[in-house]
Amino acid sequence: MQTSLKARMLEAFRFRMYFFSSVVAFIFFILIIQLINLQIIQGSEYELKSRLNMENYIPIPASRGEIYDRNYSPGGDHKVLVSNRPSFNITMIPANYATGDDLNLIVNRVARLLKIQTEDIREQIKSGTPWERIVLKEDVDFDTIVKIASNQHLFPKIEWEDAPLRVYNTTNIFAHSIGYIGTISREEYASLKKKGYKHYQKIGKTGIERQYDALLRGNDGFIRRIVDVRNRTEGEEVGLRPTAGNNIVLTIDYDVQKAAFDAMTGMNGSAIVLKPATGEVLALVSKPDYDPNMIMSRDNEDFIKELNTDPNRPFLNRTIQSKYPPASTFKLVTAVAGLETEKTYPEKTFYCPGKYTLKGYIDRDFYCYEAHGTVNLYWAIARSCSVYFYQLGYKIGPTSILKYAEYFGLNEKSNIDIPGEISGFIPTKNWKMKVFGQPWFDGDTLNLSIGQGFLTITPIAMANFIAGLVNNGIVYRPHLLKEVRSPDNRIIVQTQAREKIREIPLSPLTLKVVKEGMRLGVTSGTSARLNWLKVPVAGKTGTAQTRSKRKSDATQHGWFVGYAPYNGSVDKAVAVVVMVEYGIAGAVSAVPVAERVFSTLYEKGYFQ
Amino acid sequence: MIGRDSIHKIDYTLVIVVTLLVTLGILMIYSAGFDPVEKINNGMFKKQILWFIFGFILMIFISFLNYQYLGDYSLHIYGFIIFILLITTIFGTPIRNTRAWLNLGFFSIQPSEFMKLAFVIVLGKYLEIRERDIKNFRELLIPFVLTLVPVFIVLSQPDFGTAVIFIPILFTMLFVGGADVSHLISIIAIAAIALIVPMILTYREWIGSEGSNIILDFFQDLDALFIVSGIILLLSIATFVLHFFSVKKFLRRIYIPGSVLSIGLISSVFIQKFFKVYQKKRILVFLNPDLDPHGSGYNIIQSKIAIGSGGFFGKGFLQGSQAQLGFLPEKTSDFIFSVVAEEWGFVGSIIIIMLFAIIIFKAIQIAFEAKDKFGALLASGICSIFFFHILINIGMVIGIMPVTGLPLCFVSYGGSNLIMSMIGVGILINIRSKKFVY
Repeated sequence: MQTSLKARMLEAFRFRMYFFSSVVAFIFFILIIQLINLQIIQGSEYELKSRLNMENYIPIPASRGEIYDRNYSPGGDHKVLVSNRPSFNITMIPANYATGDDLNLIVNRVARLLKIQTEDIREQIKSGTPWERIVLKEDVDFDTIVKIASNQHLFPKIEWEDAPLRVYNTTNIFAHSIGYIGTISREEYASLKKKGYKHYQKIGKTGIERQYDALLRGNDGFIRRIVDVRNRTEGEEVGLRPTAGNNIVLTIDYDVQKAAFDAMTGMNGSAIVLKPATGEVLALVSKPDYDPNMIMSRDNEDFIKELNTDPNRPFLNRTIQSKYPPASTFKLVTAVAGLETEKTYPEKTFYCPGKYTLKGYIDRDFYCYEAHGTVNLYWAIARSCSVYFYQLGYKIGPTSILKYAEYFGLNEKSNIDIPGEISGFIPTKNWKMKVFGQPWFDGDTLNLSIGQGFLTITPIAMANFIAGLVNNGIVYRPHLLKEVRSPDNRIIVQTQAREKIREIPLSPLTLKVVKEGMRLGVTSGTSARLNWLKVPVAGKTGTAQTRSKRKSDATQHGWFVGYAPYNGSVDKAVAVVVMVEYGIAGAVSAVPVAERVFSTLYEKGYFQ
Repeated sequence: MIGRDSIHKIDYTLVIVVTLLVTLGILMIYSAGFDPVEKINNGMFKKQILWFIFGFILMIFISFLNYQYLGDYSLHIYGFIIFILLITTIFGTPIRNTRAWLNLGFFSIQPSEFMKLAFVIVLGKYLEIRERDIKNFRELLIPFVLTLVPVFIVLSQPDFGTAVIFIPILFTMLFVGGADVSHLISIIAIAAIALIVPMILTYREWIGSEGSNIILDFFQDLDALFIVSGIILLLSIATFVLHFFSVKKFLRRIYIPGSVLSIGLISSVFIQKFFKVYQKKRILVFLNPDLDPHGSGYNIIQSKIAIGSGGFFGKGFLQGSQAQLGFLPEKTSDFIFSVVAEEWGFVGSIIIIMLFAIIIFKAIQIAFEAKDKFGALLASGICSIFFFHILINIGMVIGIMPVTGLPLCFVSYGGSNLIMSMIGVGILINIRSKKFVY
């Protein structure tokens, strides 16, 4: 009995051992299955994750392209308007220091060396994670780097990184045309991410820097760094070499730009110099100005705030972003309209007693600045007789005047190759009804004829108008880009060809007459100050008033529009537009600027 | 004591496999101790070599010691280790907030490791003595007491992983020892209920749930739950008492499930109330490590990356980026297997698993062929110690078991665990050598 009980117990025991063995085998099987799952089936995904853990990509910044003026000559003496200079930032990673005491020691030492406050460093450390690299100081001098490099035992794990800086050699002179670069903003990043822009990179914000940012910026490279969990470097290699950006040659002539810039010292306004035959811009000046290098500097917040709150609005590019009543310069448009619609002819005269009385429900007087007596079209242009144009305009009617203004594109953008252009405004009868709830009055026509009232034009549009006059009705797109060169300047990557944007059907007689009137304005008219120049100039002044009928207490802007050489070949022609805000009369403020410009152009041989 | 023909019966397979495993372990500890940036080693592998030499000598010595003596003094051994364990838990210096170590100057020991062996020895002896009556439910009381004493002491160190492992070892030995399977199942059912309910409740509190579930909302109210299960328990006891007077079969079908359910629910109330939130969250995070990727889930995620990226052949010795660059935590102890898997790939992992399988099945064979019940139980117990370490450690590391700080026998860095394991192997060798000796 006992043995059979023992036998049964032994049997049960054996069975249970078998059972246990099966469970063990099954569990080993499960373990192996999961290993197959992780290592073989999902092996490549985990491989990727392990790489993501340990790989850090450090960008190698690309060298941004330089910018030259039109007189660039390979190997020759030319002005470098914008260049880069190497600069280094001192950085550290807090997690690299084993104890809090080690970190404190380093912080104190490095603060003393770099002449910065320890509190600033500590704040930076607190605001990020311990594994983030923090920038202790930007743009340090070479001696500092040498001191750190040769004293690694005193400054363990303190590193420096390459961060080249943009230098605007011409400071204020090219502030609006070239523009400046800055760190990419959140909105810009959102839309440019797919083009490869990174959130820490700099991007052109205004002017040429912005317009041609893609050409100038090149391609950053990167270093692939293997790091451990504390961000210490285990090894590194260059993953991709950076590609330098292209260099840009502008159409602008440095000397002409400087002449206009200096001539406008103390004024607010703008000056544009361009060649009608191609649309190349020889000078583009806007005042007030600022130094873009200050915007790039580290402590720029106060400076930028000052500029932003300055009521003179120095950031405004007045050549393309401001519009003003064209005043007497618009009389040229009225003249063209009058000739083309045959409402007048060169010898037709009107009488100017100093004012013109518009008959109506109430009689209104429209003034001329002096009594000119009997004038024909030539003298009306030369002496800027408003009464002539009141009468002419009344005969032509606003619709026709508007038509010719539109032909010349005075209320359109020119698509010049810097961003931010606005278009001018020419009122219409419908517009006036919609906005003021009033019909178009004859008085409005009179004002329109002499370029006063509701209409406002940008200086660049006026420049295109003059170009059209000079070039027999053909207008080319104004542009600042002359050519794009490879980073070593050996290869011309791109040349900017001229682009026709407008061809206005005007009779040659019209053009001849209007230009002759402008010439008369220089020889014995409101622009007589320019008569001494060795090159024959033709031009028209303008004095714009705000919408006030009294001329005595209105603020006045001064215009000059003109070109040289009169009666020369179109290829040699250069058009000049100057606009001075609050400049009293055009003859007084704008013409002297044009004088400087024309004389510089002559000296540089543009008219030979 | 030492028989002349004992030497012929030494199972060299076991010795060779164990030596192989420990050697691989030492290589891995060397790799894990390597700093690729400073290019120096932290030298932990040297200590492991010393422990191994010491353990090897001990193993040979024990293998000549007749295991029956262990049985005769089982209670003494057990009591002694409990005593040392108590001293350590009360007076030991806390390392990482745990009083598990006793500092003896030159080195430290972790008594809880030796507790596992002492426990197996005493339990084996008890089950041998009570072999005939073990089917009786009452007989299970003493094994439970024998288990709960060390479990509670270890839990108060606190060392959750080590405390946990006593349970499956207990069940395995009860199973091998002939206990009634239905008893065992009932107890497991109670434990399951006791754990699942707090898990669900913790999950709902932590992550939130859409809509309300009447049953779960009822469970959330712990007091109501306690009262209801108390009522069920009383009913079960009443039925049980009734069973004494009129032996009707259907009564059993009432009070057995009834008491299982009620005891389970009452225990779940206790667990929900007295376990800390982070411990309960730990289990949930194991089920889905992404619930806490920077906290407790981080270790498992990094471990799986290490293992998975090892691929088929591994990245090479000292070339495992997860291990070398510090992304893998606890790489000398808990996650040593991940280092093997990353550097030696699927090939390496399988080799380690096969070596372990050889040890386990060898131990099962020794238990099978042991000449007496005590030998069989002792061998099964030691086998289950090794097996559950392997299951819990490797299972955790590959992401199919929750995070518990259990080392991997023979491979992980750790003197006490290694020496305990070597002693265990020595005992196994001895049991086998006595196979034909009477």
